[in-house]
Amino acid sequence: MSLNANSADVAFTFKGGMLPMTVMELTSADPERIRRQLAGKLSQSPAFFQHTPVVLSVEKLDEPHLALERICAVCRDHKLLPVAVRGGAEPIRQSAWALGLGWFAPVEEGRARALESVAPFVEPEEDVNASAVSDVAATRLYRGTVRSGQQVSASEGDLIVIGAVNAGAEVLAAGSIHVYGALRGRALAGIHGNTNAGIYCRELEAELLSVAGNYKRLEDIDSQLLGRAAEVHFIKEQLDIKPLG
Amino acid sequence: MAKIIVVTSGKGGVGKTTSAAAISTGLALRGKKTVVIDFDVGLRNLDLIMGCERRVVYDLVNVIQGEAGLNQALIRDKRVENLFILPASQTRDKDALTQEGVEKILEQLKGDFDYILCDSPAGIERGAQLAMYYADEAIVVTNPEVSSVRDSDRILGLLGSKTQRAEQGLEPVKEHLLITRYNPARVTSGDMLTLDDIREILAIDLLGLIPESEAVLRASNQGVPVTHDGSSDAGQAYTDTVSRLLGEEMPLRFHEIQRKGLLSRMFGGSRR
Repeated sequence: MSLNANSADVAFTFKGGMLPMTVMELTSADPERIRRQLAGKLSQSPAFFQHTPVVLSVEKLDEPHLALERICAVCRDHKLLPVAVRGGAEPIRQSAWALGLGWFAPVEEGRARALESVAPFVEPEEDVNASAVSDVAATRLYRGTVRSGQQVSASEGDLIVIGAVNAGAEVLAAGSIHVYGALRGRALAGIHGNTNAGIYCRELEAELLSVAGNYKRLEDIDSQLLGRAAEVHFIKEQLDIKPLG
Repeated sequence: MAKIIVVTSGKGGVGKTTSAAAISTGLALRGKKTVVIDFDVGLRNLDLIMGCERRVVYDLVNVIQGEAGLNQALIRDKRVENLFILPASQTRDKDALTQEGVEKILEQLKGDFDYILCDSPAGIERGAQLAMYYADEAIVVTNPEVSSVRDSDRILGLLGSKTQRAEQGLEPVKEHLLITRYNPARVTSGDMLTLDDIREILAIDLLGLIPESEAVLRASNQGVPVTHDGSSDAGQAYTDTVSRLLGEEMPLRFHEIQRKGLLSRMFGGSRR
């Protein structure tokens, strides 16, 4: 970045980033069962298995110990690259670290923890600016009405619409969607699977709301919320819609 | 140089041709040399509304295919000076239209006229896209009902992306909203969308509001554009619309329920 160009001794800068990541949600701890299922998937869609980084989520498993090394080996055999583990008790966290993997807190408390762990990184002033710049680059700003039949998407970050999204229009974002106007069309946030994405709008009339593939149709939305400013999040395995503010 | 204005809507039957006929007549009555082109190849209607169906010899497709000259195909209106009609072909379909052909005709007309109105066919396909492609301004005709509003919204999206101005990054097509068949009583009773609802959804400037009127049907069947019926509410509303198109400020009329006085209740409304 130009911000650091004059200081020649800077070898790197820390930047905040949101990357699309496949989460492999384990419902079995048995490496053999995982191997069988992976083999089946590999034959169905070989294109997916290109050293794809995955986060192994063990939140649904209720086991204090895990054959983590064997599970990782099975993944690598099928061209999946485990990069981190999410959830699990202390022994699992320790073995993840021992294997050179990162560890993430379970989703429920994930947000608070993430903030805690990010905070110490923010040292000098200019780094804050740098990360702000990179976020802005990924954010897409659209001014005007998104009309029926039109599609506006932000493939890497948030989408901000200053205007209305009319019925029959579709807005998509890898991150969150902010509509400063009426949302009458379809809004799909977290299209790469980011369950922390949200949808915010001034007037909720949406045909469809989706966060990371979990959706609600207009018919499913509580009519009390319609016509009001609202925010939408994915909480406890379902879409939570509530009045904004 | 002429201004090219497309009259479009997406949805059929909302009053595009009626409006194209009425507005082009109004412009000619104000002394502007105007030509109105029927782009609805295969479903020719404009000539009927303009009352010149018996004088059609050559049409738009003939000119495009070089079978007739432009001046042979243009029909001079009998009632107003300065008004010409270029009819569509009834025996062909929209594939007979080519972009180069349309461009050539518009280029030729531009030097001779003040206004060129393109009466678009319904839909969003080839015919409609060719009618709007070279437009400088667009009149989007909308009825106070949800399907019409949604289709108009779709057309507005296309005006912002599938026109020459959009593709070449020029100043965007100037969009005007024309609401037709507005019935204040039915709006009040909730059968129709309100003026404010439509304006909020489409978010473009209102050019005019034409009340639902018996005069429109009568005018169509007689082949006399309703603008000539100065005693009718619809005729007056189109005259107002033309004034606004020419940049004049006109107060909005006919959007509220008219209180009928005792006399008109006894003898029937004289406005109709």
